[in-house]
Amino acid sequence: MSHSSDPVSPEGNESPAATSDTESKDGAVIILFFIIGLAASMVVGWVVFPTLLYSKKYQPVSFNHTLHVKEVENGCQSCHFLRKDGTFSGIPTLNSCKSCHESVQGETEEEARFVSQYVDRNREVPWLIYSRQPDCVFFSHAAHIVTAKMDCVTCHGHIGESDRSPVYEVNRITGYSRNIWGKSIAGIKHNSWDRMKMDDCSACHVRENVRQTSVQTEKGGCFVCHK
Amino acid sequence: MKHVDSKAKKYGMVIDLDKCTGCGTCMVACMAENNVPFKKDETDKRLSITWMRVFKLTNGKPYPDNEICYLPRPCQHCEGQHTGHSPCVSVCPATATDYDSETGIVSQIYTRCFGCRYCMGACPYHARYFNWWDPVWPGEMEKYLNPDVSPRMRGVVEKCSFCYHRAQLAMEKAHVEGRKELKEKEYQTACTQACPAGAIVFGDLNNPEHEVHQVAQPDPHHHGRPKNPNAFRLLERLGTNTKVYYLSSREWVRRAGDNYLDSEGSASHE
Amino acid sequence: MKVDRRSFLAFGVGGAAGTALSPLPWKLTDDLSIWSQRWPWVPIPKDGEIRYETSTCTLCPGGCGIAVRMIGERPVKIEGRKDHPVNQGGVCLRGAAGLQYLYGPSRVRTPLKRVGKRGQGQWARISWEAALSELAGKLKALRNDGHPEGLACITGKDRGTVAALLKRFMTAFGTPNYFGPATSTHALETAVRTMTGQEGPVGFDLEHSDLVLSFGSGLLDGWGSPVRVFKAVSHRIERHAEVIQVDSRMSNTAARADRWIAINPGTEGVLALGMAHVIIAKSLYNQQFINQFAAGFDAFKKIVMADFTPDAVAGITGAAPGVIAELAEKFSQAKRPVALCGRGRGMVPGALSESMAVVALNALVGGINQDGGLRLLPDPAYISWPEPVMDPVALKGNQAPRLDGAGDHPVFSPATPNRFFDQLRENAARTPAILMVAEANPLYTLRDTQAVEKTLKQIPYLVSFSSFMDETARQADLILPNHMFLERFEDVPSPAGFSRPFIGLSRPVVAASYNTRHIGDTLIDLARRLKGSIAAAFRWTNYETCLKETLGRKWDGMLKNGYWMNTAASPVSWNTLFKTRSGRFEFNGEDMAAPPWKSIHVAAAGDSSAFPLVFVPYDSIRLASGSVGNAPFMTKTVPDTVLIKEEIVVEINRETAGRYHLAEGKKATLATPRGQVTVRVHLSDRIMPGLVAMPTGLGHTAYDDFLAGKGVNVNQLIGPAKDPLSGYDAAWGIRAKITKA
Repeated sequence: MSHSSDPVSPEGNESPAATSDTESKDGAVIILFFIIGLAASMVVGWVVFPTLLYSKKYQPVSFNHTLHVKEVENGCQSCHFLRKDGTFSGIPTLNSCKSCHESVQGETEEEARFVSQYVDRNREVPWLIYSRQPDCVFFSHAAHIVTAKMDCVTCHGHIGESDRSPVYEVNRITGYSRNIWGKSIAGIKHNSWDRMKMDDCSACHVRENVRQTSVQTEKGGCFVCHK
Repeated sequence: MKHVDSKAKKYGMVIDLDKCTGCGTCMVACMAENNVPFKKDETDKRLSITWMRVFKLTNGKPYPDNEICYLPRPCQHCEGQHTGHSPCVSVCPATATDYDSETGIVSQIYTRCFGCRYCMGACPYHARYFNWWDPVWPGEMEKYLNPDVSPRMRGVVEKCSFCYHRAQLAMEKAHVEGRKELKEKEYQTACTQACPAGAIVFGDLNNPEHEVHQVAQPDPHHHGRPKNPNAFRLLERLGTNTKVYYLSSREWVRRAGDNYLDSEGSASHE
Repeated sequence: MKVDRRSFLAFGVGGAAGTALSPLPWKLTDDLSIWSQRWPWVPIPKDGEIRYETSTCTLCPGGCGIAVRMIGERPVKIEGRKDHPVNQGGVCLRGAAGLQYLYGPSRVRTPLKRVGKRGQGQWARISWEAALSELAGKLKALRNDGHPEGLACITGKDRGTVAALLKRFMTAFGTPNYFGPATSTHALETAVRTMTGQEGPVGFDLEHSDLVLSFGSGLLDGWGSPVRVFKAVSHRIERHAEVIQVDSRMSNTAARADRWIAINPGTEGVLALGMAHVIIAKSLYNQQFINQFAAGFDAFKKIVMADFTPDAVAGITGAAPGVIAELAEKFSQAKRPVALCGRGRGMVPGALSESMAVVALNALVGGINQDGGLRLLPDPAYISWPEPVMDPVALKGNQAPRLDGAGDHPVFSPATPNRFFDQLRENAARTPAILMVAEANPLYTLRDTQAVEKTLKQIPYLVSFSSFMDETARQADLILPNHMFLERFEDVPSPAGFSRPFIGLSRPVVAASYNTRHIGDTLIDLARRLKGSIAAAFRWTNYETCLKETLGRKWDGMLKNGYWMNTAASPVSWNTLFKTRSGRFEFNGEDMAAPPWKSIHVAAAGDSSAFPLVFVPYDSIRLASGSVGNAPFMTKTVPDTVLIKEEIVVEINRETAGRYHLAEGKKATLATPRGQVTVRVHLSDRIMPGLVAMPTGLGHTAYDDFLAGKGVNVNQLIGPAKDPLSGYDAAWGIRAKITKA
């Protein structure tokens, strides 16, 4: 910092008191600006950035899990089941829905729309998948549900108790759902289902000592979760 | 490496060169299984991505005593002198390629790779290939892509994975059936399954009940060197400790498998 | 309060601190790194339930059972069917690449009508209705003029219901001009027919043979049903069986055989008769068979003893007399020997007498309908439709002389496309008004491509049923695209060389991807439009009902298993096997004007002083040489000793190359009496001196960028040579010269 260009440099004959007064005033201004900068950027980082980062999308049909769970006999697995070959069925296809919704069952507008738009036209519903992972990820539901005896809530939370589909927030940069990073923009995790990033998989695998067989990292082998 | 649920596997292959006909079905089955791309011109073999490639060896003798032998070469999944000291794994700066001590498979994660190609330089078997171009599937060929293997992008290295996704799928079945172990034939690579001559055998080299173990007879005291006198591994003397064993009843073929100095023999390959 | 520089900086520092304390930089870094791994144009294949659909592959005559892995409704891979009797789990590289045909850029996606000049590739997409009414109109006009024989048809298949429907259509329409394929299988079947009186497919029991003697048959180069043959050859090691390959070049088969006997190309039949000489001279033949079940042996013996002495045979074949004797002894002393014929993949026929010589050799050791030998299979004869009733126009048309000028020989009246084109060249007045081409690509597969193209251009109206834009389709006036094999039903009888009565079923594993139609449905529709007796001959509602009705009681089982096989049938014994008039095996064939052995050696055409070398095409499993070309994956496996960029590489003996000052990989000019091309040379230690060998299956001008323009089509360089006995094309090669370019 060069003095010559400083507009408050002591070139004039100001008294020392005046100088100190100016200095303390200056200090306050500086702190004020510092705080303004800090606050503004905090607002940007914590509020504006997440709003800009995610765009909102809505499911083609709002789905009432609560209602369906009551109607079916086998809980989540009635619709999201493991096939005989061990692969996971994921979101049911139109055919499964049709077995009940060949015609309108209830009184909701959403169902009526579902039947007229998809069932009647025999079109698959382009559901948005909150937990969709990148293509390079291999995830075995069978290993977690059957062998590790985990329940759905551990990773998927209480989606089964929702009476409408949550907003699907998509990260404009990565293209993935907000559910992967989690609702908290800081990545803070309170529940096991709050985040679904690689570190979360890894943390659990380290804890449970699942194939910690990588030579490079001495942690999980790559081909456990990648393809 | 603390967790040993069951005895660690060492998946490997034995290729019987007496049976191999050089038809190239293994190459195509591999490409179809693993979404390997192709270009208009594939005659420059340095640029031609073939996880499995069939080489042709000759004894170098003049007509009519010349003989040839076909040699299919997948990734050799080297273990090195101590677990996982594979030539490629030890040089990868990105942790994109790794050695799994549970399966013995050298993995390659494409999204992790940044394309420095150090591993290609390190691999003595030319088993690694670089994607100089983005893959293009003409017509509507994108429709046949296999969802179990992720397609690659420009700028990354790829190689044979021993069709590890097939082990993943087989394990899924095992899980629902309450098993923790795979049966011998449950996990087979695409080339093994396709070979019309039945020249390839695949399985766990550590398991004495598996055919690969019985045929190759790996010697645990000598880094898996085969005890079967007809079996050999490529460039055995480099100490790469590979998991692909070859069988040949012909001596010149066995010699050619380890012949990396011109002064050491007359066999050549084309 | 003055906003000065210092406060501005404070604001900046505060901003930086705040940013660092906010998630922004960390989250942004993480997102950007994920973004850098996301290439939106790299496809993400759709996931779904995995299941397998079974069918029969019809890419070659092998008839392998395939299991197609489906993800939802999407086929993603073709694998071999483990429980299929023909291929038992294996697959060949062409079958494995099958989905590239389904979705490839060379599919014809809708009916096309030519708008530009012929072969210019300018098309109007038209509806099926428009296409069929145009063709029906032209066909009606032919009949109204009283010349239905002006319709001709070339097909690449002559077994099964599709071929039968085509033939029936031609007959009901009123034309005799139906030309089936001519392959070595046909030469062999004709040989068997004239020697045994048996109609039907010929099989070889390779799995049980202890000595397979192959006269140039590319067992590992695509001959017969490839996967089955591969298995039989590879598993011979466990069976302690032996394979001996007779070939002028070390083919893959020769390389993997226990022994390779190099002989001059085109002399395989002569060698067989030379062996017969030794077997007879040393009385090594099967006495019981010769004495009780054979006729014409004395005449055969007389000719063989006089004209095919080891020395004479050695002179022609180049095999040493000792080798001939040794081979003969080995063959006759083996327990279950079998001799095979049909060069390379067996798609080009040879002289009829060559096939007869090999059948005679099998007969000498009693290897007919025995374990490990040649098998005469009963014709499954499941197509038993009533003969079509012909109206007067059709009756008259069918009386007209055939356009290929073939006569009515009782044994063979070969209707071969090569003769058809020969005749057209000689007499333009014979040009048909309309030519339909189904499952064939004569512009690529027939010898002397240039001449065929010129002749084809004379034909006023060309209709193609091809699923792909092949060479012939490109010259067409109208293309009525057939479904591809994974999209259609079809019976696939008698896999090539299979030793049991067998009918495979090809069935749709995927709904038609484009606006194509099954050729059977197209024919039924056309017949309906032509009305009258033609419509009456095609009463089926569609092809599927026709097939179902035809197969009758076999249908349900075939739908379930994917094939029908007569497992109970044991080979007919010699007592009742022979249906010749004598009831015996006729060594010299029945109804032959003279013993056929004089014409056994068809020499290569050309003047040996101007063309000192002999050009031989060779088949390789990695190159499809039939009407449908290579899929991209197959071409990818072609080594750089066969193709370098666009240039084909020919194989030439190292010593011979030296004589012409040719160096490895260098360019050269190769000329034959039919044409001249630029090639690169590969000096080889695995080919006889004096030969130039070129792979078949390259040099396509049609299809897509992954095949067109690569290399040279061997048929450009070879002209047809007519076998005087049968009229089949017997051009196994031609004379050639090569000079440094």
